[in-house]
Amino acid sequence: MVAVMKNPAPPSRAEFHEAISNRSDRWYAACLKITRNQHLAEDAVQEALLAAWNKRHQFQQTARLETWIHRIAVNSALQLLRKNRPGVFEPLEIDVADETESPESAQHDFELNQELSRAFKVLSEIERVCFVLKHLEQWRLKEIADELDVKIDTVKQALFRGVKKLRVRMKDLQGEPL
Amino acid sequence: MNDETLTLYYYNDGLSTREREQVAHALATDPAVSERYQALCRDLQGIVDTGIDKAPADMVQRWHEGLDRAIGLEVQAAPKPAVHSWSFLLGVAVTAALAIGVGIGVFISGDEQNVTPMMEELIVDNDVTDRGNSSAFIRGLQVHLRESERGLTALPASTDSDKALLIMGIIEQNRLLERAAEQNDSASLARVLRAFELVLVQLAADDVTAEDAEALRAKLLFELNVVLTKLAHDTSDEPQSI
Repeated sequence: MVAVMKNPAPPSRAEFHEAISNRSDRWYAACLKITRNQHLAEDAVQEALLAAWNKRHQFQQTARLETWIHRIAVNSALQLLRKNRPGVFEPLEIDVADETESPESAQHDFELNQELSRAFKVLSEIERVCFVLKHLEQWRLKEIADELDVKIDTVKQALFRGVKKLRVRMKDLQGEPL
Repeated sequence: MNDETLTLYYYNDGLSTREREQVAHALATDPAVSERYQALCRDLQGIVDTGIDKAPADMVQRWHEGLDRAIGLEVQAAPKPAVHSWSFLLGVAVTAALAIGVGIGVFISGDEQNVTPMMEELIVDNDVTDRGNSSAFIRGLQVHLRESERGLTALPASTDSDKALLIMGIIEQNRLLERAAEQNDSASLARVLRAFELVLVQLAADDVTAEDAEALRAKLLFELNVVLTKLAHDTSDEPQSI
C-alpha cells in the first residue's frame, strides 16, 4: 500500500507578519553588512518578503520560515549590490580596501557605531562579503563562489585577506575609544 | 602549516579529508602550530555580531504594508472559485481563440486582414469614441496600454518580486478601465481588457515556465501593439470612430 503524503499548508499571511515582527532586524542586519547601504538593505528585505510569499508553496516545512526568508534576503542583498556596483566581486590585482566612503556607508557607521562595522572599513567589498557569508552566515565556500560568480580560489583568497586584516583591526579597535 | 590552511580547518570547509588529517596530526604533534591555531580560534570566535543593527520602526512597517499590498493584489488577480467552472472554460476558450488568432495573424503578413480577436472586437464595436465623454476614457486607455507595453517589454530584466508587482499593477489598472469601458457602453472594449487580464494572470502564475512566460509576454505585446495602432488610427481619423 502506498502512503499518500498530504501536502502541508504553505505558511500563512499571519506567519509572514509574525516573522517580520520577530526576525526582520536580523534580516536587515545581514543585508546591511553586505550592502553597507540602508536603502539597499531595506529593498533587499522587501524583495525577499515578496519573493518568499510568491514561492511559499515551495517552502519546506522542515526549515524555519524565518531562516528561509533570511537566506532569500541575503541573496537579494547580493543581487542588489551587484546591480548597483557592477564588477564589485571581481578580484583585485592588488590587496587594497575600498578607502572611498559613500555617504550612505558613512551615515551607516555613524548610526551603527559598532566594533565590527568599524572593523569592516579596512576590507574591500569582496573581502567583506566573503567574510560575512562565511563567518557570520556560515555559507560553504562553494556556495559563495557560485553566488558571486567567481572561482572558489578567489573566495578563499578574499577570506584569508579579510581574516588577516580583521584580526589586526579588531585588536586595534579594542584599544580605541568608540 | 600556514594560517590559510588553519583558517580552512577552523571553518571545516575547503580542505580534503587527507588535508584535514594532516592538519590534525600537526596540531597534535607540533606545539607551535597548535599555539597559532588556538590564537586564530580565539580571534575568529571574538569576531561576532556584538549587536543587531535594529531596523527602524517605519521601515518594518513598510515591510508589513508591502507584503499586504502584494497579497491584496494577488487576491484580486486570483481566478474565480471553482463554482464558476463555466467561466473558467470560457476563459480557456478565449485564450485558445487568442492564441489561434495570433497564429493566424502572424501567418497573414502585413495587410489589412491581419486582425487578432482583440482587434476584431474593436472593429466590430463602433460605439465608443462617438460619445461625448469617451475621449478622456480613450486617452486613459491608450496611456494604460502604452505603460503596460513598456512594463512588459522590460519584464525579462526585472526580479521575480518586481515582475509580480508589475503584472499585478497592470491587472489592477486593467480592471478599472474594464469597468470604465462598461460604463461607456463599450462591451467590446471591456471584453478585450478581460482577455488581456486572462493572459496576464497566466503570466503571473507561480508555476509558469520561462518558455511559456516568454510566449505569453510576446503574445501580450503583439496584441497591445495591434490595439494601440487601431486606437491611434481611429482617434486621428475623424469622424470615423472605433
